[in-house]
Amino acid sequence: MSGTTTTVNLERKVLNENDRLAAELRSEFARHGIFCLNLISSPGSGKTALLERTLASFPKDQRVAVLTGDIQTDADARRLARYGFPVRQITTAGACHLDARMVVRALEGWDLASLDTLFIENVGNLVCPTSYDLGEAAKVVLLSVPEGEEKPLKYPGIFFKSRLMVLTKVDLLPYVPFRLEDAIANARSIQPGIQILQVSSTTGAGIDDWMRFIEKR
Amino acid sequence: MHEIGIAASIVEAVRTEMRPYNDTRPVKVVVKVGAMSGVDRDSLSFCFQAITRGTLFEGLTLSIEDTPADELELSRLELEEP
Repeated sequence: MSGTTTTVNLERKVLNENDRLAAELRSEFARHGIFCLNLISSPGSGKTALLERTLASFPKDQRVAVLTGDIQTDADARRLARYGFPVRQITTAGACHLDARMVVRALEGWDLASLDTLFIENVGNLVCPTSYDLGEAAKVVLLSVPEGEEKPLKYPGIFFKSRLMVLTKVDLLPYVPFRLEDAIANARSIQPGIQILQVSSTTGAGIDDWMRFIEKR
Repeated sequence: MHEIGIAASIVEAVRTEMRPYNDTRPVKVVVKVGAMSGVDRDSLSFCFQAITRGTLFEGLTLSIEDTPADELELSRLELEEP
């Protein structure tokens, strides 16, 4: 038989342990003046290619580093290490997203005072990384032209939470049926304040705008 | 895909929150899940059932309240004295 019921008000985040670690990371980044971006997209949208272009565009004396997440392999870290900046791979061994604890671990032993900019390349996935704060200054979502203009409507969460949408592979616009105006309108219908850049990591188009976005912090 | 982790966080929170209430059992936990949270409610319910089966929390109801933005919050916990 049922007895008295007690109701306990909780009013807290489900992921409060992740959020606590993310808040610590955010204050560490602030203390060292580090601008941290969390890059999120589907697999194959060009996160690594954009980062390759980005690192190639930075003068060699810039204090830039990359954490790159994948389920398996250190292929991305090896690709990115060629540019002479510190790069570390986070291998999640199955997990579909990075969480704040993985970032804390990956940063162990790094002298944060020697950095100004940190890129975190999340695991390729347009859903799961949405829920996990990594202490970043902003989330950046990439949408590649071959994926189609409806992505923001199909996966609204990440577009809602991103400060910037980078439309990648715009060099393919003449060859695929992608309605650029619709993609922009769809993203803005989810997040009216989202900034939008169009880039091609292959031709270099739009990379200057992206570098200016990073510079403005 | 990540709902199993979210479900595990909810179970962990229930375990922590009910500690001060001796001799009670949790009957319902209410969670707010925003449309922009990146969490699928059906998948979360499925995972929650799966991980509570055969545990002390078997039969605990997960009640999901839909909200418009990106909330992913524990709202309240109902405990019953036997």
